[in-house]
Amino acid sequence: MCPTVMGRLETRVATLVLPAILAMVLSLLGGEPGWIVTIGIFLLMGVALDTTLYPRIIKWQPPWLTFVLAVGEFALLFALLKVLKPGHLGYGAPHVIYAAADLKPIALYWISWSLAVTTRIVILPFVSLSWIEDGGEFRVTGWSVSPPMEFVPLIAAPSDDAAPGALLREFSAVHTIPQSAAKEALTSVHRRPA
Amino acid sequence: MPTAAPRDSVIAVIGDGFGSLLVYATAIYLGFTSDQIAIYGTSDDPVSTYASFAHNLGQTVLRSESESHFLPADWPTFAQLDAWSRHSFAPLFRSIKRRYNPGVAEILAEATTVQRRLGWNGSRVNTRIGWMQREMSPQPHLVLYDEDANLVGRARHVMLALGHGPLNFPPALARAREDAALAPRIVQAYEPKAYAPGGRYIVVGAGIASVNEWANALDAGGQVISLLRNPVPDEQDLNTPRCLFEALGIDIFQGMSFDARIAFLGKILKGTAPRRRGWVDRIQAARADGRFEEYTGEIDSVTEGPLGLRVHLTNAKKEDLGAVDVTGIVCGTGFNKSPLTLPLIRRLVEHYQLPVDGGRLKLRINCGLPGLDMDESRVCAMGLLANNVIPHGDTIAGLKYVGRRFVSDCARAEDLDGRSFFDRVRLQLSLASDTARVIRTVRRTEQFS
Repeated sequence: MCPTVMGRLETRVATLVLPAILAMVLSLLGGEPGWIVTIGIFLLMGVALDTTLYPRIIKWQPPWLTFVLAVGEFALLFALLKVLKPGHLGYGAPHVIYAAADLKPIALYWISWSLAVTTRIVILPFVSLSWIEDGGEFRVTGWSVSPPMEFVPLIAAPSDDAAPGALLREFSAVHTIPQSAAKEALTSVHRRPA
Repeated sequence: MPTAAPRDSVIAVIGDGFGSLLVYATAIYLGFTSDQIAIYGTSDDPVSTYASFAHNLGQTVLRSESESHFLPADWPTFAQLDAWSRHSFAPLFRSIKRRYNPGVAEILAEATTVQRRLGWNGSRVNTRIGWMQREMSPQPHLVLYDEDANLVGRARHVMLALGHGPLNFPPALARAREDAALAPRIVQAYEPKAYAPGGRYIVVGAGIASVNEWANALDAGGQVISLLRNPVPDEQDLNTPRCLFEALGIDIFQGMSFDARIAFLGKILKGTAPRRRGWVDRIQAARADGRFEEYTGEIDSVTEGPLGLRVHLTNAKKEDLGAVDVTGIVCGTGFNKSPLTLPLIRRLVEHYQLPVDGGRLKLRINCGLPGLDMDESRVCAMGLLANNVIPHGDTIAGLKYVGRRFVSDCARAEDLDGRSFFDRVRLQLSLASDTARVIRTVRRTEQFS
């Protein structure tokens, strides 16, 4: 697949809908905002990567690269969670590199990633028939460029006998200055009075 | 059973090959009914033309990758379908590494399943279209006539899925084929042929067809002389760079002027040869045995010779390169790409003054035929004719791309009350399930890459 920048963004948002619902339910049930905030950070981080880094380094994205990117994003998100400390005590361990409490965000990430990949592979091709062809964008199935917007070469080739009509001359900025209105040239050389 | 003429339809497809099946399947998937669609052609099997070419070529796998197949939606991919059918993870691993190519037998089994399930043949009118007339009253539509000028139908939207023109031969070989004594020894890669063990063969070209013929001749115990007009072609898995299959590339391609698009196509489609393990191994072994040689030049003349043919060669500067005695010549030079080789197109060009530039039909940016195409009554072309709009127009992926957009335009013009999301999923899964059942009965095709 060769995703466009817009395609990456639209797909990212669409595939995180199910994880967001899951995290929202967990947050509401457990009174722990860390779940949904983690998905929010994941989304923002993904948007940043999708708009700045990925378009520069990836044009054609083979399937195996998806998993490599997931591992990279996991490492980044894990570091961000240590710095931003979402959630209450017991949701992640911000002061150590790894502790048992980190299992919650780790599990959330990989479950979310699995849901996102399943959504991307199975559901999105049904949501939009041309989703893959459109580089991950949810366009109306149609042509990239509509006929009225087609690029055509501009050829300036008037025929030899063509001359502007009266109306064109009237609206033109080019006018013949009447002879009677002609003034002395703007020069310091003047005719000496007789 | 095919249907009878004359037939009124919303969508008519002129042609009975892959393109017609993809348009038909997409139309059914989006919500058109089979009685709203008419297919015009004399073949009762949309895969028969391709199957005979593939058989003659000895082709066993498609160059296309996993997404290029005949189910209307993009999931499951063909690798997933193959894995499910054979209860094997191998196709998935290959697909992840982008090393999966659908087998010809499997893909044709799928196409046959889809056409039977969706009733493609029941919407077919058993005739060739010879003429098409635009009418504006009472609503814009097209009137279709057969090659004997009989009225065979009317349609609001028409897709021209005419396929390739005739097989192409270099001029010296085309002349030689007119000689009854020489003709049986000069064939196209897409024609039936049999190599003799110990025979010496010139294979002209270095595209996919020629590479197949190298392998076929060597497998039969023959010697191969690969004759290239140009130096070694670029190595590329598919004929078109990958990103030109999707929006990222197509948006840029369509943003160019017609002239720039043609120049670009000339650059990327000048003959690309995929190097796959199976072929490379065989050719390297044959080269070591002295059974494979490469010449750069062109055939100037062909006469009878001690091995069957004496072939005289020249280089690009028309300098004499000498003569070679060979058993036969195989041309991997493909098809004549001129739209004027298609009788219907030639008549439309003459009557409606359709623009032809640089040997190509100058289609609108939405694949419409200028002067005939209207938003409310579309007239489009697909396949090789659409190459200057969609760079991979003559591949399965390209046919699918154009077919989907054409049918979507028709749906919008007709204000179609389409299938629901779940109905589309149900149809796709049911087709996939039937296809999987059929693939299980097909012998697994060896992957080469």
